[in-house]
Amino acid sequence: MGEFKVHRVRFFNYVPSGIRCVAYNNQSNRLAVSRTDGTVEIYNLSANYFQEKFFPGHESRATEALCWAKGQRLFSAGLNGEIIEYDLQALNIKYAMDAFGGPIWSMAASPSGSQLLVGCEDGSVKLFQITPGKIQFERNFDRQKRSAIHKMLVDRQYMGVSKRKCIIWGVAFLSDGTVISVDSAGKVQFWDSATGTLVKNHLIANADVQSIAVSDQEDSFVVGTAEGTVFHFQLVSVTSNSSEKQWVRTKPFQHHTHDVRAVAHSPTALISGGTDTHLVIRPLMEKVEVKNYDAALRKITFPHRRLISCSKKKQLLLFQFAHHLELWQLGSTVATGKNGDTLPLSKDADHLLHLKTKGPENIICSCISPCGSWIAYSTASRFFLYRLSYERDNISLQRVSKMPAFLRSALQILFSEDSAKLFVASNQGSLHIIRLLEGSFKHLHTFQPQSGTVESMCLLAVSPDGNWLAASGTSAGVHVYNVKNLKLHCTVPAYNFPVTALAIAPSTNNLVIAHSDQQVFEYSIPDKQYTEWSRTIQKQGFHHLWLQRDTPITHISFHLKRPMHILLHDAYMFCIIDKSLPLPNDKTLLYNPLPPKNESDVIRRRTAHAFKISKIYKPLLFMDLLDERTLVAVERPLDDIIAQLPPPIKKKKFGT
Amino acid sequence: MVQLRPRVSRTPASASAMVDEGQPASEEEAEHGLLLGQPSSGAAAEPLQDDEEGDSEFDEDEAPEELTFASAQAEAREEERRVRETVRRDKALLKEKRKRREELFIEQKKRKLLPDTVLEKLTTAPQTTIKKSPGKLKEVILQKKNEECEKGSDSKKTKEKVQKVQSVGHNKSYLAVRLKDQDLRDSRQEAAKAFIQNCLYGPGTNRTTVNKFLSLDNKRLPVKKAAAQFLNNAWGTQRKQNAKRFKRRWMVRRMKTSKN
Repeated sequence: MGEFKVHRVRFFNYVPSGIRCVAYNNQSNRLAVSRTDGTVEIYNLSANYFQEKFFPGHESRATEALCWAKGQRLFSAGLNGEIIEYDLQALNIKYAMDAFGGPIWSMAASPSGSQLLVGCEDGSVKLFQITPGKIQFERNFDRQKRSAIHKMLVDRQYMGVSKRKCIIWGVAFLSDGTVISVDSAGKVQFWDSATGTLVKNHLIANADVQSIAVSDQEDSFVVGTAEGTVFHFQLVSVTSNSSEKQWVRTKPFQHHTHDVRAVAHSPTALISGGTDTHLVIRPLMEKVEVKNYDAALRKITFPHRRLISCSKKKQLLLFQFAHHLELWQLGSTVATGKNGDTLPLSKDADHLLHLKTKGPENIICSCISPCGSWIAYSTASRFFLYRLSYERDNISLQRVSKMPAFLRSALQILFSEDSAKLFVASNQGSLHIIRLLEGSFKHLHTFQPQSGTVESMCLLAVSPDGNWLAASGTSAGVHVYNVKNLKLHCTVPAYNFPVTALAIAPSTNNLVIAHSDQQVFEYSIPDKQYTEWSRTIQKQGFHHLWLQRDTPITHISFHLKRPMHILLHDAYMFCIIDKSLPLPNDKTLLYNPLPPKNESDVIRRRTAHAFKISKIYKPLLFMDLLDERTLVAVERPLDDIIAQLPPPIKKKKFGT
Repeated sequence: MVQLRPRVSRTPASASAMVDEGQPASEEEAEHGLLLGQPSSGAAAEPLQDDEEGDSEFDEDEAPEELTFASAQAEAREEERRVRETVRRDKALLKEKRKRREELFIEQKKRKLLPDTVLEKLTTAPQTTIKKSPGKLKEVILQKKNEECEKGSDSKKTKEKVQKVQSVGHNKSYLAVRLKDQDLRDSRQEAAKAFIQNCLYGPGTNRTTVNKFLSLDNKRLPVKKAAAQFLNNAWGTQRKQNAKRFKRRWMVRRMKTSKN
């Protein structure tokens, strides 16, 4: 495999924002998650819980409610008083309609999906009609005439109970007239709406109970508390034969450390998310039909896209944050050592640049050129391109002004290997090629999307010799374009799981594609067909442990001198696939540490297979090959993220 | 080295003479080594004159010029008047300038404001009452506008609290919104955020710090470990610097003594 010096980087201060709202869509099995910085992410739960789309955040948007309506339409409402509809095809915001009632605290869609109710600060509940293009205001309910309409999550009410005002964080209305309320005193209360009396009172926590979600069949619901515990309530019959049922608290789950501010109930799973930024999906055992690995707990902590780009020649790393970019120079060492040694640095890592973005919008994507002289990044409405120059010890930045209008809102940016061309995938589905000159640029060509669909290209890869460009969208196959002739060369057949990583090998021009179900394909671009190795591994199938990994592969790279090696990584491991070695079958050990020299030959033969996996560096955000003998691994320990989160509830434990 | 020539006589010098002598005096200086205008010497009360020139102009035995009090007073008064005049003139000029500037600003402001007709419409529009029409699209046509609908002014959906007047005039490319309402919206949003922050993290909530939270595990382990503490790298920078300097000096001293 080779010996590498590894730059172990831990100075990427990445802190994800907390989850505020969660909304589950039953028809498409997708989950919409909205975070405190305004980002909305869409997870495809059937594609191995992969985050397939996201909408960048905005500083003024403080989302308080998220809901799906008929026809796969997503709406969100927030404290700025606006109802926003998201366009899931073009990945931008369709429109924002002001509800004129002040901050909106809650929103719900009618079961038929054609009406939308919002609860506003001024006490009114407004009803909107959902039309094919927009939403229209229909009527206004005053505080008195609030006649319940099916399920409704109404905004907070104040009740003066004891010293501190007790705030009701959530209310759910069932169709049999029961109203369930959760409040800040830790109680779950059942009310009868006909008589207006309290039926049952459950005190379940010492802290606030902050969220509630009811399943579609109305026989179970889930609540989340500020201590991080999620409780499952079910309607069970009193004795085994009687028809009388009552609500019983069945299961507690402690998967969070901070407040659980959003819960959702899908037919088979409980979904929760909160201030500790994890998204936890807990399938319920009694609802799951096939008890295999799919029924295990899923915790999504790290992003499913790359936030780091690397300039190999100058050994620079560009970190992307929500509102700024950081450029770091890697340190260097002159010492040598054996396997497992930590070498002392002769020159420390240097923070070269801190680039803040103007405006309230979040950065969508960013990239640095391989030579280190160009930085490009994009927000939802603007595109920025900077030229860097290095003189001895100083670095100077110059902005390229007058970017063309069609470059706004890019989803992915990529520089070619010789840093002469810039490839931009915009959210309208088109791909732009720009030639970079000394201080300016020239627009070369635009590849328009296929007719009919507006397919946003999410991932790009360019071949090191600069001839081929591969682009993958969310549903169609991977398109490969010939950059010299500016024409579409071929399309890799579509696979039903989304692509998570894409790369083109240097000399053989093989396109390696990783999908969210952990399948890896290798497609030869000049031959326009899958390679032999790819066919072999597809026939044999991957090792079951490989398929059971729960984080997607986010980066693939290659070794210049060894064309048989593919380096890829996900959040908890990195792997070098050696195509010349035999493939492992289900009986071999997948995670094989380096066997000691005095082991017998039999064991060595048994463990020598193509997948060399190392779990030394985790959690990994990025790993790449800088040159033949150097790797860079960017880690983000979970404790460092927890250290920067808002304070959790105090838990008194005996002995502390 | 200054050579003071012997004091011969006190010949008074007129103003012009004093001025003229500046130059020839310097030439003389080179010859005589005189330094004109030395302050510390007693003889510097009056400028040392050039021998030859002074002698040629005045007689050595002449009495000093007589200045009557009246003439001096008249002169002083003249001076005063002149100064007063200049000050008054300056003030008047400044006032003029300021006046002109103000007028210019008023002109510019007037140009910037919308034409009077538009302003009139804006101020009278809110006075018309908006009635709720249940079950229908909220399109309220302002009565005033009705008459002028040929002009192309549109009617706009309006809600109870905020009124938006759109496209007064021919081109429909801008939207006139009352600034008061914008401020209200921002302040309400801030108030809402502050409310949530207060409920969750304000006084009365049972929150703990991150150190304590991360230390809980350490304290419950079978082998108890210390609590988690966060480093403050900025602590005692001066002390650390002093220590470094002392160490360097000490090392140098050690080297010296060990050599000897």
